[in-house]
Amino acid sequence: MQPALELEQVTKRYGDFEAVRDLSFQAQPGKILGFLGPNGAGKTSTIRMILGLIAPTSGSVTVLGARDVRQVRDRIGFLPEERGLYRRMTPVSAISFLAGLKGVAPAEGRNRARKMLEEQGLSEAKDRQIRALSKGMAQKVQLLSALAHEPDLVLLDEPFSGLDPVNQQSLEALIKGLAARGATVVFSTHVMQHAERLCDQVVLLAKGRKVFDGTVDQARAAAPRSLIFEGQFDPAALAELPGLGERTVEALDDGVIRVTATLAADAPAQAALIAAFGLGLDIRRFELREPHLHDAFIVLTNTAGGQA
Amino acid sequence: MNRLLKIAFRDYIAYVRTPGFWLSILLMPLGIFVFGGAPLLVSRSEPVANLAVVDFTGQGYVATVGKFLVPASAGQRPVARLVEPPGGPFADPASAAAHLKPYVAGVEKLPGGGELEAAAIIKSGPGGVDIDYWSRNVADRSGEFAIDQAVSQAMRRASLAKDGIAPQALASADSLSPRVTDYSAKVGGRTSQREKVRGFAGVGMGFLLWMVVFTGAGMLLNSVIEEKSSRILEVLLTSASVPQIMGGKILGVACVTATVLGVWLTIGGIALSVTAPSIAADLGSVLLTQGMIAYLALYFVGGYLMFATLYVTVGAFCETTREAQTLLGPMMILLSLPMVFMTQAIAHPDSPVLATLSWVPVFTPFMMAARAASDPPLWQIAGTGALMFATTALELWVAGPAFKSGALSSGRFEIRNFFASLARRTGE
Repeated sequence: MQPALELEQVTKRYGDFEAVRDLSFQAQPGKILGFLGPNGAGKTSTIRMILGLIAPTSGSVTVLGARDVRQVRDRIGFLPEERGLYRRMTPVSAISFLAGLKGVAPAEGRNRARKMLEEQGLSEAKDRQIRALSKGMAQKVQLLSALAHEPDLVLLDEPFSGLDPVNQQSLEALIKGLAARGATVVFSTHVMQHAERLCDQVVLLAKGRKVFDGTVDQARAAAPRSLIFEGQFDPAALAELPGLGERTVEALDDGVIRVTATLAADAPAQAALIAAFGLGLDIRRFELREPHLHDAFIVLTNTAGGQA
Repeated sequence: MNRLLKIAFRDYIAYVRTPGFWLSILLMPLGIFVFGGAPLLVSRSEPVANLAVVDFTGQGYVATVGKFLVPASAGQRPVARLVEPPGGPFADPASAAAHLKPYVAGVEKLPGGGELEAAAIIKSGPGGVDIDYWSRNVADRSGEFAIDQAVSQAMRRASLAKDGIAPQALASADSLSPRVTDYSAKVGGRTSQREKVRGFAGVGMGFLLWMVVFTGAGMLLNSVIEEKSSRILEVLLTSASVPQIMGGKILGVACVTATVLGVWLTIGGIALSVTAPSIAADLGSVLLTQGMIAYLALYFVGGYLMFATLYVTVGAFCETTREAQTLLGPMMILLSLPMVFMTQAIAHPDSPVLATLSWVPVFTPFMMAARAASDPPLWQIAGTGALMFATTALELWVAGPAFKSGALSSGRFEIRNFFASLARRTGE
């Protein structure tokens, strides 16, 4: 199947500054791709190259099968990182105007706008000026204006920033819905929980370079698992347990301590627990913690930082 | 093209829905009315000034001054009302001045309760007659002028009468004047009102263009700044090309200004038809014959495009109007020059200075519109028009990428970034 988006060895320089270096990845149709990285990693520059707003210094970008993004502009939806709409327009007119620029007929645009607003619980606000809406409502309207023309590729730059938890949840549902109807969704974020819940694929950037490209599970595997021991024992005794690496110790109440130790990738957690009991340690709580994407993010970006 | 029209339509509707648009339409005719009627209103609302004249020459100048103060026709206001000097007669000019000064200063009231605004003391002097004129408002010289005229005429007549010339002969001589007929070498016959109207029409269009350029360009600037600061431009750039966005915005504001102008011109035309039908007929005839409309439209469109493109591009680099002023402040000073020269075009349309300025593209539309009455030669029209449109085309070519670069930039406006983006295009 032809990828919805393909970047091949893309580099972008601004004078002496290299914003993106040798970036290659693909996004498959109907999948959700999380574009992750710390601030200044090159996410926005990459999204702008995908949109054709800026040209890569070298490399190629293929969007929906086209090398020239202008040919498929009407099939792309885009939500910029910094939000804004015409303050004096109503949600219906703003959505239908932007959909109109993507080729949707005015009457159809207005119908779709009303329907989408209703689905998002904004039907009461549809005829109010945008300046009279709350920030969250206005952000939703802007998102809808990026989707009203039913794009095949949706690019969302930091879509969750500024949204309250309820609206974040609603946005997650919306993104899943887009993928379910066959659209490819690429969103940038530095909040890992959203990516962890939503993404079929994550691409991690650090200092303009790709440091990871794969599934969420594959990303998690880059970070070590941890074992947590709580009880009254000498933390030095844990050095004898199999598979344990770096340890941190915290003092809890009544002489109880908590030791968090990294666990080697191939080491079974049960072996460490059996060994601990074998040593007669007073273990009152034991937990195996699988790594989150957040842990993987830190490990991968730190590794990349060390390499750079 | 479809996107361009959609952007233009949105911008047009957005402006038409603002109170400012309707205020512009309604306030301009009101402004013209106030501008034209204000001097009359001020003078009519002011009471006629009281003037006291004390004559120490014994030549009866008070009566002569009194005749000069009477208006020539029934509808006119008198310059001043002659009143009896309070506290007279006076022994000498010094005591008259000392006595009248408190009245003129407003410290003392006239016996009837009014105020004395001015006092003239006419006395003999080394050159014949001296007049000391005391007034409260030194800016208003109308009373002084009337007294000067009256006494001068009386002195001349007295002098001529002394040489034996009869008063009737004097009056007859004063009424003599030649009959002057204006002929125009260009017209090849008598100069008509139509020719004068033609001159004023050109200058009027020049001023109108100047006003349209700056109101329209200002609207464009604010609109683009708003879209830049709210990142709407970034979204538009993912849906339309730079020429479509710039063209749409320029066309939208052009339609707004055309609507406002259309209303103003219609109201002005109706008002002129009612108050001065012959001038209105001549104006219509001037505009509708000899390609005058096409001539003015050529420079109107070229001028608007040139400045609108500049303002749109500057706006794309700015988050606030204050930032835009950094660049446009000096530009405004430069563009105030046509205002000075356009007024000269009424009397001197073929002046070498104006002809030279017509070839400077930023001045071309204003200067050529103002020179319309002089029928500039075709080679000048073609040459200046071509240069103006070539400059506009070059500006559009350079401004396109600069606009995009500005729209995607963030942070404070830096003038060097603006020029660097222009230089990048020209260096390609």
